[in-house]
Amino acid sequence: MTEREITQRTRAYVVENFLYMRQDFRFDDQDSLLTKGVIDSLGVMELVEFVSAEFGVQVDPADITEENFGTLAGIARFVAAKRATRTPA
Amino acid sequence: MCGIAGIARREPRGVTAETLGRMAASIRHRGPDGFGMFLGRRVGLASVRLSIIDVAGGAQPLGNEDGRIVIVYNGEVYNYRELRRDLEAGGHRFHTHTDTEVLVHGYEEWGEALLGRLNGQFAFAIYDRRNEHLFLARDRFGVRPLFYTIQHGDLIFASEAKALFASGEVEPAPDFAGMDEVFTFWAPRAPRTTFRGVQALEPGCCAVWRDGALHSRRYFDLDYPEAREEPPDTLRVLDELMRTGVDFRMRADVPVGGYLSGGLDSSIICALAAAASPHQLRTFSVTFDDPGLDESVHQQTVAAGVGSLHLVAPMHRATVAQVFPDVIRHTETPLVRTAPAPMFLLSRLTREAGIKVVLTGEGSDEMFLGYDLFKETAVRRFCLRHPESRTRPRLFDRLYPYLQRDAQGGEFWRRFFLTAGSTEDPLFSHLPRFQLTARIKEFYSGGVRDALGAFDPLQELRDGLPEAFRRWSFLNQAAYLEIVTLLEGYLLSSQGDRMGMANSVEGRFPFLDHRLFAFSAALPTRSKLRGLYEKAVLKRWAAGKVPPSVAQRAKQPYRAPDAPAFFGPERPAYVDALLAPDALERTGMFDGQAVAGLVRRCRAGRATGFRENQALVGILSAQLWHSEFFARPHRPDPLAVDRADVVLRDADTPWAAANPVPSGARG
Repeated sequence: MTEREITQRTRAYVVENFLYMRQDFRFDDQDSLLTKGVIDSLGVMELVEFVSAEFGVQVDPADITEENFGTLAGIARFVAAKRATRTPA
Repeated sequence: MCGIAGIARREPRGVTAETLGRMAASIRHRGPDGFGMFLGRRVGLASVRLSIIDVAGGAQPLGNEDGRIVIVYNGEVYNYRELRRDLEAGGHRFHTHTDTEVLVHGYEEWGEALLGRLNGQFAFAIYDRRNEHLFLARDRFGVRPLFYTIQHGDLIFASEAKALFASGEVEPAPDFAGMDEVFTFWAPRAPRTTFRGVQALEPGCCAVWRDGALHSRRYFDLDYPEAREEPPDTLRVLDELMRTGVDFRMRADVPVGGYLSGGLDSSIICALAAAASPHQLRTFSVTFDDPGLDESVHQQTVAAGVGSLHLVAPMHRATVAQVFPDVIRHTETPLVRTAPAPMFLLSRLTREAGIKVVLTGEGSDEMFLGYDLFKETAVRRFCLRHPESRTRPRLFDRLYPYLQRDAQGGEFWRRFFLTAGSTEDPLFSHLPRFQLTARIKEFYSGGVRDALGAFDPLQELRDGLPEAFRRWSFLNQAAYLEIVTLLEGYLLSSQGDRMGMANSVEGRFPFLDHRLFAFSAALPTRSKLRGLYEKAVLKRWAAGKVPPSVAQRAKQPYRAPDAPAFFGPERPAYVDALLAPDALERTGMFDGQAVAGLVRRCRAGRATGFRENQALVGILSAQLWHSEFFARPHRPDPLAVDRADVVLRDADTPWAAANPVPSGARG
């Protein structure tokens, strides 16, 4: 799965769950989800749950940083890196 | 405690008993023990009475000896015995034992300067027939409500807005700017209300109606003349103020009880009340089945410690939803929290137990810097002095330990606090709360957005700050903002007066004694907030007076279940009905598609954050408010004049006989 696909699926999730009241809201992959008011801290936790379930990666508490979860691009990089280092079952 | 209503005509065409009877009927819950009216050629007054002082002799309206002055009055003046002594020494003769009569004679003696002598919570209207002026006044902090509107040159006023509508002379219509303030500050800021054309007399203000115009002025200003050092006799003075403040508020001819939350403030009040009461004190608490909200262990500890007879009102999620329509009928405004609902049930329990007066602990957090918001403000300022520091923001974890528990989501919250606004902004302390609350506005319909135009409640607040504001310390600035945005409109009204009076229970607030405010405002702020240790001076004084476990307990914010209360299996039918697309379209206040998304998330149990919880409560309560006040007429059957305890008429009084109105002047 490419970073682009990860970004698209995460974006769809964010739009459906966090931007349902702002249909015309536009944001870039590099935009800070917090600064733009898209998510709050509980939203971050929801995103973490989504990422774990959707992309099958384990997220440790230490992974939940602004760098990894602050932007769509950051999430995509993080997920792609995790998947790349994943030990085959 | 009572409810009042009245109409002052620009032209002397009178007010009918039926009109006054309807207004009185709509606020009968405020005064089920009696009612009366004054029928004048220019002014009509109505009163419904909850009898507490001079139960037998205190019927209203009440006049002076010759009937020149007539009053309707909602509230209590606690130092009435002392004022009465002064007035009697000056030659005034009294016929009742009420504080009401003290106001009448006090007005005769001192005029408007009477207000500075009052220690109490009140809203009243005095008609002076000599000059046909109507004098309105409201207590310093706005414990008691007073609303008015001007229609075709006539002044129509009442304790609650619903009485204005019941007159048949005022058409209810929403004021979206008032609603927008609810979705910013949690309540409209007086004089604005959520009804178009309806205003609230501001706390600490009085007004005179004459010749068809209302002239209002402020008689009490909040001020913070902060001392550099704590005076050596601070604890002695605080002790005196606390004891006399409670003693004053125990004055009643009926038993006085206490609300007991389990926190420091209500524990102090109940401990002092138990010591001052001639009876075993009755105390009342709310308990929650959610252990995250429940404080019953601490309540029982205090109740046992003060020896009170303690009763509890258990709250479940479903109960909140059941009573919420009644709550909104009484608050007369949308809400962003359900916290008034338990207070509604608590007053019901209290009244059923035969108690109609309770002492309660509100005001302490504003006077002694108890809220987390004050610490948050201090931490934000501290961090912003060195924005590059990575250690300073860790203080937020000490302030809000649950952020730390919330895995690493706390990092995002810390960032939120640090980017919420500049320290140069006079609203700095409150910007995080205001910004978070304002997220509800994302659900507004296009119609409401258009109606609001460029309205900016934050800029209005900034523009209206008093000159002295910039001289105060940043914590006193925060305390001031807390009082003018939240205390009066929300805590004392939606969560206070309205929930108590819904079940005919009067709340009394020892911490809102103006002498105590003056004392606390003059203390150095470090006497109140020492580092992150709140209410420091109060805790020093309280040591030994309340159980140690309560005295040193970290403050627990009072909360009630929000969105989940409305999505359980037992939810009432109105929830789905009012949140349905057609209902939203009818009221036109919110975007149907956006609300559908929110409802979907609530049903799935995913709306767990502040933002969506408050949005759900805000939208549902606004829908209830709309259906209660704008979708159907308010014409209760009037209270019958022949059942009134007292009916005064213009012509019946000695003053009228001695001062006949020329026949051509009669309306």
